[in-house]
Amino acid sequence: MPRQALHTFMQATVRDVRKETPDTFTLLLDVGGGRTPADFMPGQFNMLYVFGVGEVPISVASSEGETLLMHTVRSVGAVTNLLARLSVGENIGLRGPFGRGWPVAEAEGKQLLVIAGGLGLPPLRPVIEGAIAKPGRFAGVKVLYGARTPADLIYTHEHSRWQAANGCDLLLTVDRGTGDWRGNVGVVTTLFPMAGVDPGRAIAFICGPELMLKFSIMELVKIGVPPERIFISLERNMNCASGICGHCQLGPFFICRDGPVFSYPKVRDFFPKEGV
Amino acid sequence: MYFTAAKGSVPRFILNLQHRGFTVVGPSLSEGVVRLRELRGAEDLASGVVDIQGPGSYGLGGESTFMFASLNGPDSPKTYLHPAEVELSKHVDRGSGIELVSAFHSDRKYAFFGIRPCDLRGIGIMDRTMLVQGFEDPVYSTLRDDSVFIVVNCTKAGENCFCASMGAGPAAESGYDVAITELPEKLLVDVPERNMDMFQGIVLKAATEEELQEGEELVRHARDQMGRRIQERDPSRQMYAALDSPVWGEAAERCLACGNCTMVCPTCFCSTIIDRTDLRDGSVSRVRVWDSCLSKDFAYSAGGNPRQQRKARYRQFVMHKFAYWPDEFGTYGCVGCGRCITWCPVGIDITDTVNSVLKGKQDAGKKMEAPRVA
Repeated sequence: MPRQALHTFMQATVRDVRKETPDTFTLLLDVGGGRTPADFMPGQFNMLYVFGVGEVPISVASSEGETLLMHTVRSVGAVTNLLARLSVGENIGLRGPFGRGWPVAEAEGKQLLVIAGGLGLPPLRPVIEGAIAKPGRFAGVKVLYGARTPADLIYTHEHSRWQAANGCDLLLTVDRGTGDWRGNVGVVTTLFPMAGVDPGRAIAFICGPELMLKFSIMELVKIGVPPERIFISLERNMNCASGICGHCQLGPFFICRDGPVFSYPKVRDFFPKEGV
Repeated sequence: MYFTAAKGSVPRFILNLQHRGFTVVGPSLSEGVVRLRELRGAEDLASGVVDIQGPGSYGLGGESTFMFASLNGPDSPKTYLHPAEVELSKHVDRGSGIELVSAFHSDRKYAFFGIRPCDLRGIGIMDRTMLVQGFEDPVYSTLRDDSVFIVVNCTKAGENCFCASMGAGPAAESGYDVAITELPEKLLVDVPERNMDMFQGIVLKAATEEELQEGEELVRHARDQMGRRIQERDPSRQMYAALDSPVWGEAAERCLACGNCTMVCPTCFCSTIIDRTDLRDGSVSRVRVWDSCLSKDFAYSAGGNPRQQRKARYRQFVMHKFAYWPDEFGTYGCVGCGRCITWCPVGIDITDTVNSVLKGKQDAGKKMEAPRVA
């Protein structure tokens, strides 16, 4: 990032707002200046700024082929609650992109396991869309996605398209099967036996709550996926996004600068480890 | 080049710096504490002031015939180059979007006069943390670029000093603009060719072999006098291996999580950006303030608080200095200035913590004295 990045905001104009769940919504943004979603790589994040209130780090959910930048946000605090109230035509500030994303090139020719828990799906959406756009790039794509309840599943209008795509399988699970849910019930690792994982050829991209990451990694290692082919996206308090404020440190890493995506062996001494 | 100069030349030297456009910052007595303050002239220097420091204690005592008799107070050049509060930018929203009104800028050129070698090392460390290629901090780089550092080598060690074991003192080896060693009768100065003009109007004599030896002798005295040290020269790997040491919990039981240690540390850089709205014109300033890893909510995010426990936060502070920093920035994060020991309200001794962690024994803090009130 250039030197002035700490206080230079791009103007992001809201073009569409989609409600995903009662507390989660998707913003489609026009960042102008000739910038397109292709300038924001899968796994990277942006700082979204509400004037006079503050910034939040949000993953890039759009893929390079799309025209609008996409961010999916859950209302949990002062800034995200205000983002939830945005309407079409309004502007917010944006800094980014920051961080290192998914090693998509490294996954070429391998069986790609996309494992997401809850709001871990947005940063993986561009990986899925990218795979669908270029069939044959990977030796099959397995999307394993879990949420708390069926009502917490996001991007549901896209699921059938993902499922129908050549070489792509979408497996869903929920912790609690409310309503007329007939699918799998249980944590995301319960999907592993149904996914037809080929440990010798698999590469895993995982994002979700820490516990879900922990058990997914354990399960993958148990079935024989080499640790160096497991990649996780980690969440910490990102404030400056430039490795200067210190908030997002995990051991010797600044999540904002060195991550948020890490190969598992790189961070295994510090994740998961209490209090680091 | 080594020269000697009369002690009486200091006022002229400070004036020379001021004439060259520098804001001169040096040790100055303020409410019973030697602070780093902007000097109007040599009369503001804490000349001859003696400080007495211990774990959790700071006081003044007596007078010295030496000009540079006091050691570090709570301030370091960080106070000026990475200010505790700084406006990064100011914006307005006129309805059509956010407009930048002003971004941080400064024409200040600082001359740090009379800082100690450990603080010079602190600048070397800050250069690595704040000027990572591609992530250069605009504030630090602007303020630091034009600064000069006139370092005074230590001829006396304070009770809490351990710079020798961090390789940061008691004498500066490089990175200074002028280095001074105060001899009983005169100043021994090392002046690089490029800075000879700072001594305009001051009589400099080539230093004799005896004078150089006298200077070395005084510095050696400070080194020998130093009571505290980190036992290992390169403890990083051992510290990593001791993440689960019981020592962390023992030391943290006394820690108040007040963050004093991080405020006075010459290398602690953590900060938070806050939005400050001006009700008069509706503009918003993005203000950066120091933050501390000892604060409870420091690492809090939507996913939870990874360092809810005080023990985890205290461990983070020490591990960062002595384990993580070398991997992040290629240098240790501690200079051995001892400020965190002096200004800790309960006198926690970081050398004691590190040495106990390294030894794997639970004796951290046993030799703790009751804090004295100055």
